Amino acid sequence: MRMSSRFAPGSMPDELYFLCMLHNLGATTPERSLSLEEISRWTVIEPAKAEENLRKLIENNHVQSNSVSGTQKYFITVNGIRKVLSMYS
Amino acid sequence: MKICMLTWEFPPRIVGGIGRHCFGLAKTLAKEGHDVHVVTLDFPGALAYEEIHGAKIYRTSIDLGNPDFITWTFLFNHFMEKKVATLGRKTEFDIIHIHDWLTAPVGIASKHYLKRPLVSTIHSTEIGRARGLHNPDSYLINGLEWWATYESERVIVTSNSMKYELESQFRLPGEKIDVIPNAIDGEKYNEEVNHDIVKNRYGIAPHERIVLFIGRLVPQKGVEYLIRAMPQIVGQHRNVKFVFTGDGWTRDHLVRLAASNGCWDKVRFVGFVSDSELIDLTLCADVLVIPSIYEPFGIVALEGMAAGVPVVASNVGGLAEVVEHDRTGVLVYPENPGSIAWGVNKVLSDYGYSRWLIQNAKRKIEELYGWEAVAKRTAEVYKKSCERW
Repeated sequence: MRMSSRFAPGSMPDELYFLCMLHNLGATTPERSLSLEEISRWTVIEPAKAEENLRKLIENNHVQSNSVSGTQKYFITVNGIRKVLSMYS
Repeated sequence: MKICMLTWEFPPRIVGGIGRHCFGLAKTLAKEGHDVHVVTLDFPGALAYEEIHGAKIYRTSIDLGNPDFITWTFLFNHFMEKKVATLGRKTEFDIIHIHDWLTAPVGIASKHYLKRPLVSTIHSTEIGRARGLHNPDSYLINGLEWWATYESERVIVTSNSMKYELESQFRLPGEKIDVIPNAIDGEKYNEEVNHDIVKNRYGIAPHERIVLFIGRLVPQKGVEYLIRAMPQIVGQHRNVKFVFTGDGWTRDHLVRLAASNGCWDKVRFVGFVSDSELIDLTLCADVLVIPSIYEPFGIVALEGMAAGVPVVASNVGGLAEVVEHDRTGVLVYPENPGSIAWGVNKVLSDYGYSRWLIQNAKRKIEELYGWEAVAKRTAEVYKKSCERW
């Protein structure tokens, strides 16, 4: 899959690229949260790598997780959205 | 007039200057009796529709996503276009106004669909932000910027330096461009704050002086040069604290840089703060530093000037038009830590000089940068566009 070429490769930490992709996918509210499998499929990133990025983003309060019918799902927090906007605007 | 304003950023979805600009312009135009409809993007917790100071705000949800930034941009433009088309059936707009390339596709489509003139405000260009065109996305964004200016009846820019950028980059005729500066609501800086309480929130002692940075932590803002200037400032002023507000993708790099230059105990990275907190911090600051490498206008400079804080800013772009060196602030060389340290030390060392700068700056703000004047001039551009249409 083509990651946005807006930023030079290596210029931004992996998890922030990943955060941008989650934002662009629309996972910005609990109702629109996505499972690891869905995220991995959409971003074409290995589940293990995606999980590692999610863990870092949760630590920084950029992503939150919730459980929907027993499945762990993830969405971006307001802090995370602001982080993405600061990169784009 | 019936105005359809299109922007991807509008409070509470606000990070840069565009959101603040659109908010101030929309509410002032509405106050002047215009029928203002703002179509923007949704944000968690914000209403899908509300009226703010008489301006009608529609927040569009984006029902499809794609991880790619450019694809996502075209998707949200599509959903905004749907909203504009619906509104256009009920309201006969006189003018469509877009801000930057991000809403160029919806603006251009709406112009042709509604058969109404388009006005663009170009706040910055991709070449300026990215310091050149280095990848396919940048080339596309540059193309969209050109396209927006081409399709627009009139183009508004906020400084003469931006006018020059558009003339040279896009070969845009100068007579098509109107220079209307940004504005601020100076009254919000009239409040009294208890400096000790505000400083205490950030672990700053009452006797310590604040060197403040406000902005996104991205290369364009030149934050690293301020960090590199810190040892020279601390060398002359032991009792300073450097407060960095805002967030961005270079934050981790900047934190590491600050930690490595021996001044870590003098630094506070406070992240994104609310508007009211930002006002409190600005009012408590002893100097506001704007070390930008590229800055088409620099609304932060106006905010500092209105708050009565001496401004030390890079001599670039619109900043050099807003700040008059040695009269309303101090201009320093961009990308030059020594020059930044010189400017900050000059202001911190001479109380009388810094008071004089503040007095001059406040007078300039009142004369030139009020929202009423800016909204009036924008409405004149709308009128001129409609007359030519």
